[in-house]
Amino acid sequence: MQAKYINPFLKASMNLFKEYLGLRAEAGKPFLLANVQDLDAVSAIIGLAGDTKGAVVLSFSRETAIAIVSKMSGRELKVLGNEVMDGVGELVNIIAGNAKQDLLEFRIEISLPGVITGNASKIHWPEGIPVVAIPFTTELGPFTVNVSLKDIA
Amino acid sequence: MNILIVDDSGVMRRIHKGILLEHGVAESDIIEAEDGKAALAVAREKTIGLFLVDWNMPNLNGIDFVRTLRAMDPYKTTPIVMITSEAAKYMVVEAIQAGVTNYVVKPIKGKALFEKIGKFLEGQG
Repeated sequence: MQAKYINPFLKASMNLFKEYLGLRAEAGKPFLLANVQDLDAVSAIIGLAGDTKGAVVLSFSRETAIAIVSKMSGRELKVLGNEVMDGVGELVNIIAGNAKQDLLEFRIEISLPGVITGNASKIHWPEGIPVVAIPFTTELGPFTVNVSLKDIA
Repeated sequence: MNILIVDDSGVMRRIHKGILLEHGVAESDIIEAEDGKAALAVAREKTIGLFLVDWNMPNLNGIDFVRTLRAMDPYKTTPIVMITSEAAKYMVVEAIQAGVTNYVVKPIKGKALFEKIGKFLEGQG
């Protein structure tokens, strides 16, 4: 997968965390996810369809997910309940929707977000397309933006 | 004036409601709907003076909700602000063609959002 397809998601993630949530989000070096089931405990998923196909998965530990959605909603949340699941779904929705403006080669439709906890094997990644993981660190904990997007043939 | 917030995310509905309350909108004037289908039911039952509408929602999405709403006599000119993560220009064009009055890309902070919607509340009580 070419870097130009990763950069829009990197940019959208940075904008979301820095400008909206007021969190310093430092991006690490993107890497190829060797085992696509190797994700943190909470994964928020958006499918991409249209001129290309793919998926975006935002993954956190439980603690980080709770802390970030607390920051987002302005309420101190304690447990991984519906509100946290709703919030992380909205975060991946914003990242995917924002990234579209810089993916001008494609006309992409994004799915409704889904959130799973625990077993990442429930994620249906597009077959045969590598997954690139972009690691971030923040004061509320690390998270990863995982992108799988089919290049133009 | 009734304001209808249409978003499938309860977190976002609460954030938008909080912004309205901070700017003096009465809680009794704020109505929430979790998708376009539920919003249409509210719009048929009550008179709405301002709609804040997400795009990506189950059952009836925001763009189809707007098209349906604009075909209804009471809502041909009612302000509709679409608040969505969809940032691609062709989506903005599609929304305007469907009848959206103003288009706001999430994420947006409270003050900036109110600057976009406050003008629709002026003179209303």
